[in-house]
Amino acid sequence: MKIPLSWLKEHTPIQKSVEVIADTLVRLGHEVEGIETPRSAVKGVRVGHILSMEKHPDADKLHLLSIDVGEVEPLAIVCGASNMGVGDKIPVATVGTSLPNGLKIKKGKIRGQASFGMCCSEAELGLAEDADGLLILPKDAPVGDEVGTYLALEEAVFDLDITPNRGDCMSMRGIARDLAADQGLPLIEPSDEAVQVTESVSAPNVRVLGEGDCPLYTACRIDGIKVAASPDWLQARLLAAGLRPIHGVVDVINYTMLDLGQPMHAFDADTLSGDIEVRLAKDGETFVALDGREVSLDASDLVIADAEKVIALAGIMGSDQTGVSESTTQIILESAAFKAAKISTSRRTKGLVSDSSMRFERGVDPAMIRVAMNQASQMIISLFGGKVSETTCVGDAEAVIQDKHIQVSMQRIEARLGVDVPESANDVLERMGFSIVRDDSQADTLLFSVPSHRHDVSIVEDISEEYARVIGFDAIPAVMPPLASIKPRKVQKTVESAVEQGFVQVINYAFIAADDQRLFVPDDGRDLVLANPISDAMSVMRRSVFPSLLNTAKYNMNRQQTGVALVELGRVYEGPMSQRKEINVMAWLMAGELQTDAWYEKARKADFFDMKGAVETWLTGRGLTARFMVDDDVQGFQSGQTAKIFVGKSVVGHVGKVDEAIASQYDLDTNVFVASVNLDLLHAGKQAKFQPLPEFPSIERDLVFLFDKTIASESILQAVRKACGPSLVDAHIFDLYDGQGVPDGQVSLGIRFVLQHAKRTLTQEDSDQAMQAVIEAMKTHFEAVLRG
Amino acid sequence: MSELDALKVALKTLQDKALDEFSNAESLQALQVLRVSYLGKKGELTSVLKGVGKLPPKERPVIGQFVNASKQTLSESLEKREACLALKEKQVRIEAERIDVTLSGRTSSKGSLHPVQQGLNEMTAIFSQLGFDIAEGPEIEDEFHNFDALNIPQEHPARAMHDTFFFHPDGDEKANLLRTHTSPVQIRTMKACVDAGGEPPLAVVATGRVYRCDYDVTHSPMFHQVEVFKVDKNISLAHLKGVLQHFLSAYFEKDVPIRLRPHYFPFTEPSAEVDIACVFCHQKGCRVCKGSGWIEVLGSGMIHPNVLKSVGIDSTVYSGFAFGLGVERLVMLKYGIPDLRLFFENDVRFLRRMGA
Repeated sequence: MKIPLSWLKEHTPIQKSVEVIADTLVRLGHEVEGIETPRSAVKGVRVGHILSMEKHPDADKLHLLSIDVGEVEPLAIVCGASNMGVGDKIPVATVGTSLPNGLKIKKGKIRGQASFGMCCSEAELGLAEDADGLLILPKDAPVGDEVGTYLALEEAVFDLDITPNRGDCMSMRGIARDLAADQGLPLIEPSDEAVQVTESVSAPNVRVLGEGDCPLYTACRIDGIKVAASPDWLQARLLAAGLRPIHGVVDVINYTMLDLGQPMHAFDADTLSGDIEVRLAKDGETFVALDGREVSLDASDLVIADAEKVIALAGIMGSDQTGVSESTTQIILESAAFKAAKISTSRRTKGLVSDSSMRFERGVDPAMIRVAMNQASQMIISLFGGKVSETTCVGDAEAVIQDKHIQVSMQRIEARLGVDVPESANDVLERMGFSIVRDDSQADTLLFSVPSHRHDVSIVEDISEEYARVIGFDAIPAVMPPLASIKPRKVQKTVESAVEQGFVQVINYAFIAADDQRLFVPDDGRDLVLANPISDAMSVMRRSVFPSLLNTAKYNMNRQQTGVALVELGRVYEGPMSQRKEINVMAWLMAGELQTDAWYEKARKADFFDMKGAVETWLTGRGLTARFMVDDDVQGFQSGQTAKIFVGKSVVGHVGKVDEAIASQYDLDTNVFVASVNLDLLHAGKQAKFQPLPEFPSIERDLVFLFDKTIASESILQAVRKACGPSLVDAHIFDLYDGQGVPDGQVSLGIRFVLQHAKRTLTQEDSDQAMQAVIEAMKTHFEAVLRG
Repeated sequence: MSELDALKVALKTLQDKALDEFSNAESLQALQVLRVSYLGKKGELTSVLKGVGKLPPKERPVIGQFVNASKQTLSESLEKREACLALKEKQVRIEAERIDVTLSGRTSSKGSLHPVQQGLNEMTAIFSQLGFDIAEGPEIEDEFHNFDALNIPQEHPARAMHDTFFFHPDGDEKANLLRTHTSPVQIRTMKACVDAGGEPPLAVVATGRVYRCDYDVTHSPMFHQVEVFKVDKNISLAHLKGVLQHFLSAYFEKDVPIRLRPHYFPFTEPSAEVDIACVFCHQKGCRVCKGSGWIEVLGSGMIHPNVLKSVGIDSTVYSGFAFGLGVERLVMLKYGIPDLRLFFENDVRFLRRMGA
């Protein structure tokens, strides 16, 4: 909402600076989003007094003036105008001044005569489009003063963000009321003088069906008007407030709305047939709105209709056909109250927004219905002629402006605000229109009457907000609340530990393209699809993090990265909606070089075991042990390089190589490895328990066998553990070789054993025995041959 | 010349020769050879001693002393030379082992937490210290939790201000949507407490992703919020201000002046928007604060009685404050990040630089 200062001043005599007014508005809850200064009065234009005036010796149309501008010496100025005389006060642009039209005033010679400034017209000061001669100032204008200051030319337009609860502040009067109340200034009441009514003009007949939605409807008829463009001052005001002038009648209506907050409408009376009816639309009824759009109505819409057709969507927009044009001679003026919720529904379902609907939705002061009607019809007849009928009024004009009453315990208010409320706050609230009566029977209780313009105030807490605004939040102390309790909580590092391993955490949107979803998830109807996505690329809730990670990898590899290691902590979403699940997951991606070449080590490309190792380390960090098993049937993964991850008995995720065709869809020409773990399936993990350190030394033994290549190392190690018995502390594969000397289809695996006994030092025989058991087990289970 | 004198002269000559050779020895190894050749069992000095037998017994001790003194001299000289050579050799070795210590160390490439995650961690840590519990809630919400229970009825103009993502209706179910703020967690947490037969005090911080159907330079369709609320007897606006002041100063790691401005939110009454003194210009006025010296950071207020009512908490007994903030916004302000989109482009160069 744009509020020109000059307009505001018509409602309250505020003299404060623009900055102070802006600060006050902010403190009262009207956020100032910007301050425009369309007329930041020209500096350097002073009030001049013409001391003498002679004809220019060499030019008929020029005059030589001697002008007192309050300096020691009068200025000699050559002037082309002729509407002035000796003794007149005129605006003089002194040397160095820049005028709004871009002209910079310099010393000069005109036809041989020196000139030290310029006498100005209204146009040259930017006050009018064009002008005939100089602006002659009043006789008492103080010589030498800045004309801008003297004429109060400074204009500022406050751009306010009016909150949706303050419909009453969507007008000059509304803002002025808050300001005036706060500053202790009077609010200037609009003229209450009734417009001259002509009996011969017949008032419109109005029927209101369903008065719940339209508690008050007033209308009058004005005959014999001649629509013209509205006067400059009015157009200028509308422009300053951000509205485009249309033509006289519409401009007056808009002006009244901006001035008083009451939206009105004007119909061309000649386009109407029969009585006016306020009713719900019939299903299937249509009308063409003023903006040219055809709208299909239904029974939820409140409309204004005549005997034949819908002439307006109530409170929102009139029909194109019945609108006032420049050829209109008779009009019906409407000023009414409509139920906010009704307007809101139609605005939303029909997609029509107007300055009128914005106000009705937020609440309009019904007390202005009559005042606005008076002001608008008075302006119309004085500007465009015509005769006004009586105003038809349907509904209880008194009832709609009935005050609400709220009983307020000051103790509760003060407890809620955390500060004592000073008595002076009540004065401000009374100036805002509240009336406050002390209840003698209850010491700390006040009885509030809420004025009709404050739709937003209905309970005690609303009153507490009024007090907070008036006292100012700055006056409220900052106090720490008492500490209630601190519940013990285990801090679980999730993504943090992956980051410690060198992964870069990324955060991607939770919605992806349906096509991307299909790469890793079958089309089984369990996608959750947005009805109003930003784009197709962001239209389904992701069921896999991999498409997002692949996109991120692509983005970075396209930006000269030679490798990426990414991790994302987030959710995946699975339908159907009625059984929807949001699953917390961690997902990793590795592609390309793990490190750049360094003097001590050449770069190496990530492989399956880098990815698997990262997941293993991460799980170990949580006190969990994972097992991995071949899974050749995971969508989007390359079989033979993919495993499912077991923690306990459940599969918590997968690790593997992304199918090459998919990787190349993301422009990734290197191997891409990914993993994901369902965090909701992970149990808490074991807490480390103290164990005494071993007292006796351990023995390390190595055995190397030839195995068939198809045997999984995991099953070999399982058999090893079983064969070795309880003295085995660790067994792991320390060497793998399938090069020269190893028969085709076989692989040489070196297994390192660490044996240790808790109660005694192991002997050579002990370890020999264990190794012998292993050798035999390998032979029986796997037909493995001991090498060398 | 007596036999004795001749022996003395021979010994002296031998000693001088040995000393000379010792001082000319250029390596520990050569020195070792000299030691053996002079002082060893078959060494020259020993062989000189063999001549002692020819002397009269009376003179033997004299030459014995002489020989011992010579032995002593030679040993000392040897040790001296040995130490000197050892030092020299060590210096040579050290010089040979000289490396370029300015070469980079063996590092592994560092990962990084996403700046938003870092912000979330820092913020929740501050509230944890203040005794706030940490809660989470679903991102796919219904209209009741996202709007109705928060005192935003269907026709409320504020509802239109939330550009909501809706889901395709699934049968005849209620409309489902992506939550537009973390405030539904307020409702869920309070309701869960009441349903379990509990009652306030409640102090909760809830974090998570939220969604708005708005996508341009300053809007991301997904962003993160932190929601904080406390419900107890006698909770006041002053408490809200106290917690805000503490939180904002703790987060920005300095005393930040704050300003509360009256505002409107359907779920709080009174409501306030909270500004901090511009962190870029220290209130001198700059482009970021549009010359005002203040930067809006969050919305707050006293929980509306209708909200408490919707979860079954008696607003005549309990009151509470609540506020919600955009994590990205605060992170941008703290680290001077100019563009919201950087957070979701996930350029690892940005993430590595900004991430902890």
